[in-house]
Amino acid sequence: MHLEKIDDYRWLIPKSYKAGMRTDAMIYANERLLEAIRQDQSLEQAANVAMLPGIVGRALAMPDIHQGYGFPIGGVAAVDEHDGVVSPGGVGFDINCGVRLLSSTLTLKEVRPKLRELVHQLFRDIPSGTGQSSRVTLSDADLNRVLETGPRWAIEHGMGSEADLDHTEERGCIPGADPYAVSERAKQRGRAQLGTLGSGNHFLEVQYVEEIFDQKTAAQHNLDKDRIVVLIHTGSRGLGHQVCTDYVSQLDQAMRKYDLHVPDRQLACAPIHSPEGQRYLQAMAAAANFAWTNRQCIADAARGAFQRIFGEGVNLPAIYDVAHNIAKREVHMVDGKQKRVVVHRKGATRAFPNQAVFIPGSMGTASYFLTGQEGAMRETFGSACHGAGRVMSRSAAKKGVTAKEIQKELESRGIIVESLTREGLTEEKPEAYKDIESVVDVVHNAGLAARVARLRPIGVIKG
Amino acid sequence: MAAWFELLEHTSDVGILARGANREEALIAASHALASILVDPAAFRPVEERYFRAPGSDEAAQIVNWLNEILFFFDTEGIVFVEFAIDSWTSHEITGRAKGERFDAERHELRTGVKAATYHQFESHAIPGGWELRIFVDV
Repeated sequence: MHLEKIDDYRWLIPKSYKAGMRTDAMIYANERLLEAIRQDQSLEQAANVAMLPGIVGRALAMPDIHQGYGFPIGGVAAVDEHDGVVSPGGVGFDINCGVRLLSSTLTLKEVRPKLRELVHQLFRDIPSGTGQSSRVTLSDADLNRVLETGPRWAIEHGMGSEADLDHTEERGCIPGADPYAVSERAKQRGRAQLGTLGSGNHFLEVQYVEEIFDQKTAAQHNLDKDRIVVLIHTGSRGLGHQVCTDYVSQLDQAMRKYDLHVPDRQLACAPIHSPEGQRYLQAMAAAANFAWTNRQCIADAARGAFQRIFGEGVNLPAIYDVAHNIAKREVHMVDGKQKRVVVHRKGATRAFPNQAVFIPGSMGTASYFLTGQEGAMRETFGSACHGAGRVMSRSAAKKGVTAKEIQKELESRGIIVESLTREGLTEEKPEAYKDIESVVDVVHNAGLAARVARLRPIGVIKG
Repeated sequence: MAAWFELLEHTSDVGILARGANREEALIAASHALASILVDPAAFRPVEERYFRAPGSDEAAQIVNWLNEILFFFDTEGIVFVEFAIDSWTSHEITGRAKGERFDAERHELRTGVKAATYHQFESHAIPGGWELRIFVDV
């Protein structure tokens, strides 16, 4: 595929690339990342996204783009709220997969001597994956309230405080969420999973602030060098997966009714204002609220674990919680006019000016705290990247290395890891991902989000 | 043709290539493949039975829904299936049964969580001497 180089960080797939594209697709990457991106089908998928009915502006791909289903992971598409479509594939199976960052009253020096004990306590208190039940039990009424109101339910049940809501995107609750748009099957899958991390690339990391790039913003969040922070990366678990499964199937049917055609069935969509489109948005909002509650419950368990090891006086205030798999109703400037759009972010983080953006690394690598910039509002519907982005398949990652070797290697670098499964370590080894420094360089230099701090892991729990 | 499967490379997820003497056997091979992504199936016994119903407007939807039944029972009851039987496969749905055992951390080994079976690059077609299916799952 021939890409038009716009500058060192922007590459264009013109809409003339293939029939059916309604707009150009813009790829944010440097030459090195682009080489890795070309190894899979993600550029073709970005071109497919440009075919979505009602798309406004350009189809967008962040520097951590890699091949997904229908949409690439790291893809952004805004559609006109009046005549556009909504696509569950543009959000993904893990609805409101996202990241919460907690600060702490502790420093690296204070935590290091008890690190192994701390990681073990976190691993015991926070169920990581399948086969371990949640510590949170939900009645039918409780589950419906979680879906409707998000983490407020957890706070009412003693898991956190109002301040946590102040530091959560949408205060943890997308309005219009309807628990009755969520199937019984989805509720059954999610019921025992509130407060669990899940597997794959989900994790909780104990990190310290290694370097600060923006003193003013860091100080606003009481972050200084060597400050201990906790990063939680997970989503809506089986409930969200089932909501996506249910609605891909329903919208796949609805496409015939509305005479819609997409190049990949996993891009199944329906007009936003159709009953099917509205129902999906109500169910997606409910699943998103579940995910914010999940991260709230995990944050509460992490606070408990820290207090057991370091005493009651230890506090872990929330810095922010932001989604990176979601569709949001927002107002953006398009061709000089304000327009109501639905922004699909699949593996992309909302990055409004001055809003915190977190880019998790992978066990051995750093994570980043960024803030959204004006450039994101001008170019990417207020979006930036969401991670390093895989570069290696899971089977390739597993070859020639054992979980014990990875654990030992990380330990030699001062990182204690506990994982429920061997695959949690081998499939997610740092080398399976793109270089996070390059990914962050691109969004920083393209003016989408600016570096605030680099965070280095010292303790990891995984499913 | 003996039933057979292999797992395919994909940057972020996992593909299943399954073959059998006919479409039913190929789907059963794909079902075993999915179980092998979730856990090491060797230590699971066929001691509990569940009924599967996989409706769909076409073959792809039915196959995707069948595989999603495996994930549903795993998430809700912790059951891993090691035996599968297809009772009927009509133009509207597949019905069948599966036998397996609940996950027990003392005896069983978890591998990778799977979110869903997808339509991405789905293929189902006859091959010389049998049938071949290709399905990608989101992990």
